[in-house]
Amino acid sequence: MTESKTLTGSALLFEVLKEHGVQHVFGYPGGAIMPIYDALYDSDIQHFLCRHEQGAAFSAVGYARAAGKVGVCFATSGPGATNLITGLADALADSIPIVAITGQVPTSAMGSDAFQEIDIFGLSLACTKHSFQVTDINELEKVLYQAFEIALEGRHGPVLVDIPKDIQLAAVTQRLDKLSHLKNKVKLPLADISKALDLLTHAKQPILYVGGGVGMASAIDEVRDFAKKTGMPSVSTLKGLGAINPDNDNYLGMLGMHGTKAANIAVQESDLLVVVGARFDDRVTGKLDEFAPHAKVIHFDIDTAEINKRRTADAAILGDLKGNLPLLTMPLAIKKWQQKVQQMKTDFAWRYDHPGDNIYAPALLKTLSDLMPSNTCVTTDVGQHQMWTAQHMSFDDPSNFLTSGGMGTMGFGLPAAIGAQISRPHDTVIVVSGDGSIMMNIQELATIKRYQIPVKIVLIDNEKLGMVRQWQDLFFDGRLSETDLSDNPDFVMLSRAFDIKSQKITKKSEVKAAIEEMLDHDGPYFLQVKIDASENVWPLVPPNTANDKMMEGV
Amino acid sequence: MNKYQLVIMADDKQVVLERILQVTRYRGFLINAMNAEVNTGNNIATITMTVSSDRPISLLIDQINKLIDIKGVKVDDREAKLATSLAKSALKPGN
Repeated sequence: MTESKTLTGSALLFEVLKEHGVQHVFGYPGGAIMPIYDALYDSDIQHFLCRHEQGAAFSAVGYARAAGKVGVCFATSGPGATNLITGLADALADSIPIVAITGQVPTSAMGSDAFQEIDIFGLSLACTKHSFQVTDINELEKVLYQAFEIALEGRHGPVLVDIPKDIQLAAVTQRLDKLSHLKNKVKLPLADISKALDLLTHAKQPILYVGGGVGMASAIDEVRDFAKKTGMPSVSTLKGLGAINPDNDNYLGMLGMHGTKAANIAVQESDLLVVVGARFDDRVTGKLDEFAPHAKVIHFDIDTAEINKRRTADAAILGDLKGNLPLLTMPLAIKKWQQKVQQMKTDFAWRYDHPGDNIYAPALLKTLSDLMPSNTCVTTDVGQHQMWTAQHMSFDDPSNFLTSGGMGTMGFGLPAAIGAQISRPHDTVIVVSGDGSIMMNIQELATIKRYQIPVKIVLIDNEKLGMVRQWQDLFFDGRLSETDLSDNPDFVMLSRAFDIKSQKITKKSEVKAAIEEMLDHDGPYFLQVKIDASENVWPLVPPNTANDKMMEGV
Repeated sequence: MNKYQLVIMADDKQVVLERILQVTRYRGFLINAMNAEVNTGNNIATITMTVSSDRPISLLIDQINKLIDIKGVKVDDREAKLATSLAKSALKPGN
């Protein structure tokens, strides 16, 4: 037993948060969480008042992803709790460690349809890795410890702890031994190492397929070492960007629906896929039956359920990537294959020559990437700007590119950037957003104003829900249904209302100076970039199509 | 559709059945029968469940196994074979 003293449940919560190294939390108060906010008053943990609980959840996600820590958010019962759900679902889809604390009506009122009562515990089942409802004060400490452990154990994920108001107020004296009361689920490692070695030595055209799990496993060094020593050409998923050094000659960029032509063709021609921390997502594979049709598969993952889920593995290596990947790291005789993919990389390199005076978003993002300081963290929203950012900006670490991958949540970028900036106060943080997405959590400009968070916002404005418009043009006979946003507010005026310096640019000739001004500015900055509404993201693999049958323009 | 009988051991938590039901539905399996009992001595619940689906049963087993409260899941082959054979014989002409 550790030293015991009498605490309320709320005070105990802050003790446990401190014991887990939590310095910052994001949230919004309300009736059923008032005892926790009262205890916050005496705590040295810094709370950031977001202007919507969804903003708090995404800030916690951005914080966790940028810093490699657990993100913590608070919300009250009922609508406060339900507003967290999209953020939790996003964290589940992208395997982000979050601990969400919700207030609940008192236990005596639970189940009576009380004011602001909702069964958030029930609602959380499908959008969290695990969830708890604490109905006994003596369980609270153990549950809170378990919440942090579960969030970080194995494949990371969000955990919700619902605490009724009377439990927050109840007195507790017992303190548990911090290290002895948790049990781990022991899983036997599944490791076809000898089979994998055999596949590797016989492969003539192997590809290293890198996913978001690499960053999560802190295995970037091991993956880069593997790529370097084997000389294996590599491709990345959206969430894996940054894991492979973009300067690696054999790195072909992102694969999948908006992947590079070189990456997609190389994967289709490969005879072996070495899959590290990736899951054959449908946006990656295109038509699954025709994905890498000649390739055997070596699949490394921490999650048993991902093995054989969408593609059968010829060798499965379950467990810690950091420890397992070096077992297969060895030189390979694949010079001809390397030469072939390097030629494809040259032949299909991005081009930034673009006619006219209008700003070409890919070129702007390439300029931004070239000018931004090292270790800049970029967040995006979801849509065309997201894919252009993934294609045309370079990242040297997955924690420097935060985007909503699995869930594809519009509204992610701005609050995630706030969380990232708070976790990394000395690094530049840039949001690249679209004029559809930015409006989904625009209220977070108030959070930026309140705390003077120096986030740089680059708004790619085409007055459209651009990606949906693109699909309507390409696949729905140009019937543009509900994708016009030409009546959006004046963004420059709007950001000025939040004391954020702002500028609008419309011509190519203005790009470099505007980016430099934004990056040189000490505080937050809002750069509105007008682009042509008809620009599309290319290449595009149409739905239910093999990845080598991509469209490259119309 | 293939039929399988699963035997699931879980911590005796009030929510554990909801979690299993949610995962089973979401992953594309129909529940044909279910029984749950608790050993009050060790607070372990034993849940037997007959499910059917065209999807491989490993998909469901892996997902149930990921639930934090689950101690273990196994397929009871004998029961499943019996259930499938009974189902097939019921479909034969003349039956």
